[in-house]
Amino acid sequence: MTRLTRRALLRTATLATASGLLAACGSEPAATVPADGVPRGKLSVWLHQTKAYDKVFNPLLRSYMQEFGGVDITPLYVPVDKLDAKLLTAFAGDVPPDLVKIGGWTIPGHARKGRLAPIIPKAMGVADEKALVQAYDEHAIGSLSYEGKLYGVPIDYTICYLYYRKDRFAEAGLDPDKPPTTWEEVAEYSKRLTSADGKKVGLQWILGSPQWTLMQLLALVKGKGGTILSPDATKATLASDPGVEALRYYGSLGNPKLSNPLSGFGLFATGEAAMLVSGLFAMDLFPTLNPKLTFGKGFDIAPMPRWESGQPVAPAYTWGWAVAQKSKLQYTAWHFIDYLQREDVAAKQLKDASLLTPVKGWEKLPGADQKAIDIMAASAPHADFGPQTPVWNEMAKALTDAGDAVAFGKKTPEQAAADFDQAMRIAL
Amino acid sequence: MTLSLGLAPRVARVSGQGQRWAEARTGALLSLPAALYFLVFWVVPFVSAVYLSFTSYDLAGAPEWTGLDNYRRMLEDPGFWNSARVTAVYTAGSVVPSIVLALAIAVPLSKPGRYNAFLRGLIMIPAAMPLVATSLTWSVIFAEDGLANALIGLAGAEPKPWLTDEGLALWALVIMTTWKHLGLFVIILTAGLQGLPLSVFEAAGLDGAGPVRIFFRITLPLLRRTLLFVLVIAVVGAMQSFVPAFLLTKGGPAGATEVLPLYMWATGFTFERMGYASAIAMVLLAAMLALSVAQFRVLRGGDDG
Amino acid sequence: MKVLRGTVLTLVVAVMLLPVYAMIAVSSASDASDLGGLSFDVSQLGAHVAQLFGQGGFPLYLRNSLILSLGIAVLEVILSAAAGYALAQLRFPGSRALFAVIVGTLSLSPIVVLVPMYLIVKALGWIDTFQGMIVPFMMSAFGVFLVRQFALALPRELLLSARVDGASELRIFARIGVPLLRPALLTLFLLQFLAQWDNLLWPLIVANNPGLWPLPVGLSQLQTEYDFSIGLVSTAALITAVPPLALMFLLQRYYVAGLTLGGVRK
Repeated sequence: MTRLTRRALLRTATLATASGLLAACGSEPAATVPADGVPRGKLSVWLHQTKAYDKVFNPLLRSYMQEFGGVDITPLYVPVDKLDAKLLTAFAGDVPPDLVKIGGWTIPGHARKGRLAPIIPKAMGVADEKALVQAYDEHAIGSLSYEGKLYGVPIDYTICYLYYRKDRFAEAGLDPDKPPTTWEEVAEYSKRLTSADGKKVGLQWILGSPQWTLMQLLALVKGKGGTILSPDATKATLASDPGVEALRYYGSLGNPKLSNPLSGFGLFATGEAAMLVSGLFAMDLFPTLNPKLTFGKGFDIAPMPRWESGQPVAPAYTWGWAVAQKSKLQYTAWHFIDYLQREDVAAKQLKDASLLTPVKGWEKLPGADQKAIDIMAASAPHADFGPQTPVWNEMAKALTDAGDAVAFGKKTPEQAAADFDQAMRIAL
Repeated sequence: MTLSLGLAPRVARVSGQGQRWAEARTGALLSLPAALYFLVFWVVPFVSAVYLSFTSYDLAGAPEWTGLDNYRRMLEDPGFWNSARVTAVYTAGSVVPSIVLALAIAVPLSKPGRYNAFLRGLIMIPAAMPLVATSLTWSVIFAEDGLANALIGLAGAEPKPWLTDEGLALWALVIMTTWKHLGLFVIILTAGLQGLPLSVFEAAGLDGAGPVRIFFRITLPLLRRTLLFVLVIAVVGAMQSFVPAFLLTKGGPAGATEVLPLYMWATGFTFERMGYASAIAMVLLAAMLALSVAQFRVLRGGDDG
Repeated sequence: MKVLRGTVLTLVVAVMLLPVYAMIAVSSASDASDLGGLSFDVSQLGAHVAQLFGQGGFPLYLRNSLILSLGIAVLEVILSAAAGYALAQLRFPGSRALFAVIVGTLSLSPIVVLVPMYLIVKALGWIDTFQGMIVPFMMSAFGVFLVRQFALALPRELLLSARVDGASELRIFARIGVPLLRPALLTLFLLQFLAQWDNLLWPLIVANNPGLWPLPVGLSQLQTEYDFSIGLVSTAALITAVPPLALMFLLQRYYVAGLTLGGVRK
């Protein structure tokens, strides 16, 4: 990729010798950078499978193995809800895969426990970490570092959109080309979109999912100027005016009793929900679920709403590729990852699978629905990945408990917020 | 010649020293593989789990001793208490109906006859269905427009949001697991029933006792050993039940179906607090042991002939 | 009276089998829209089956499940028969303690045992192997418990007379105990087969090579994150139900005829 300067070469040579020495000492599987820079070995890769990504990933695997004959790659597709358990047991037993595609929000946590290896710049064809960071969207890659070192590269980055059903809007007498821009408007529209028996609603939240609860509540809480965790992430601050108001709003929309095997997504596909907060991938998902739903005619997207007197917030998340600290093939692993992140690959991914690799300049990647990219680009300055904390899972679960409790009317917003803070007090 | 020589020491074996020695030797031999297996794959992990319950272990590095911290944490953890409550309700709610139903079905179904045999074969089918298949089927049945609502619609009731109503979700789970285990319990109870001595029933019949009286005064007590087995298996199974909740509701709407094993799973594998999860497991273990001991005592089906 | 009883029982069984029929109906659904009905489209079902066997990797998962379940069931029966009989009929030092320990493990949650067990299996070098998936589950407290309860009811007279005849304890076990326990053993075989057929977590965690994965793991693979065809997944689920059901019908004689032990009492 980039041409190496002599200094960089010298630096890498020193690194290589140093790590070679370390490896010789036999203390840990070292991140040996082969002198000739050629990747070798049998890589094990774990990731979860989606039809969309399959189409892109498999050809890439093959072409990589063709180009770099010394590498053999065995991908393992793990069911997404079991990936955590399998990965954790593997880490605990010191037999992790060489590389893995995991939620970017878990990377700092894993790094903190010494499970991940920092990136090897040479494998990625750059002089140093800084150069690599500059090759990506700063927000996205920033969320994948820990204590100043980078432990992953982002793939499948998305900002949340407001999806809405044009047909339901038209039915209710709302202008399908004028989606709501504020949360207040969303509430108003929802009133008109909700049927008397509650079977059809306006905005339906995706309930019960830690990931989505965080995205949804983040928009609401941050939009009002509050925070879920304090800026230094040492305590929870949900039990404050913005937090409680956000929860109250959360509980006032949607019908939690509507059920669908695919939760909110399914409800949007069937039309029971007229609005939904979701990510880029849903553009492909909805037509698959309901062939009659086409982008532009059946449904459309809009930027995330904001509070009338509040800040715009664009909740975002990204997945990332990471390499295990115990891997004996770190160089090869990062090399392969770099291959997956090339610009032409990024373009293809976007076109074929609606998956965005946030390389710098992703806004200009061809092939996606331009509208989606435009909205994302416009919202990018307000991208917010949520609180960065090593106990992300517990926080997200506690948040989900709080949100769900209010949505189901089991707790008042004040109570739910207080319970969340209490739970975080124990966890943090 | 050899006969007398051969027989003499053996006859002495029916009782006394020789017999005890022979029994002990063979007994030990036969149970050795089991003893080894349980030692390596259950006792050792169990001891680890006990140890871990007193530590903080996040599946990275070494466990760190923290004494009773985990247990103290349990006391003030609302998630734990919610799960404990859900588990208790779930256990009582599924064990009692399944056993009562199983008995009600097994008694008539255990009577001889080809048709009964045929029915008994059919009734095992749900038990043979793999769990993943079962959960999928029931999630469709409990869907808005699924079979469950269609059936209660026939009875004139409103369709219900089975899996998304926090009051109903747990009962939906109970229905699914009861359905799955019923066949098994019926078969085991049938086996027990068919082993009961006919003579006792004949005598009771001659004495003029009615079927209900016979059932409660004679059948049930005689069935003690089998009942104990079914009861213990049912209770333990319910308290350990993890996969159905995991697959059907994932802890359900707002924690309504978050049974303790599911909570342990989340604690250990999602939050990476294996020490705490182990502590919870210890508490669950203590509860189950206490219940099992109680059941053994009450039904005294352990050792008498 | 008999007819009434028969009708009620038939109805009960019919209701119990409704979900199974529902599953077949769902398997023939082409997309998420026609799940409610009880109608049944054979050609669609056939298409799903073809798809699964063609590109689903199903034959491999099927084979692995068979190896695992049969292997475990066979080992289970042999070892539980031995231990259960010994615990019931033979007095030996430590038998009480052993039984208590075994029943105690019933109460131990597999979840917290998972990590220690994994570490043990790893120490044995059995990660990613069939033995790693089979051996940790080759016995169960349930099995020993079941055999022991039934072995307790073995007719004492028979055993006694065999002893008088001079047979060794081992011989008595093999020639008298096992045949009499056969229905219980076959039931145990079936039940363990079923239990292992369902085992999702352990194979998932132990095997990193999908070539070793059994059906439950393969099945959950089909349910990829947000998009899956419910008809296809349901068909897959149906297929996974076939071997256990087949085994069940094959062994029907044994538990349907009743697990009676010898005709001595009757």
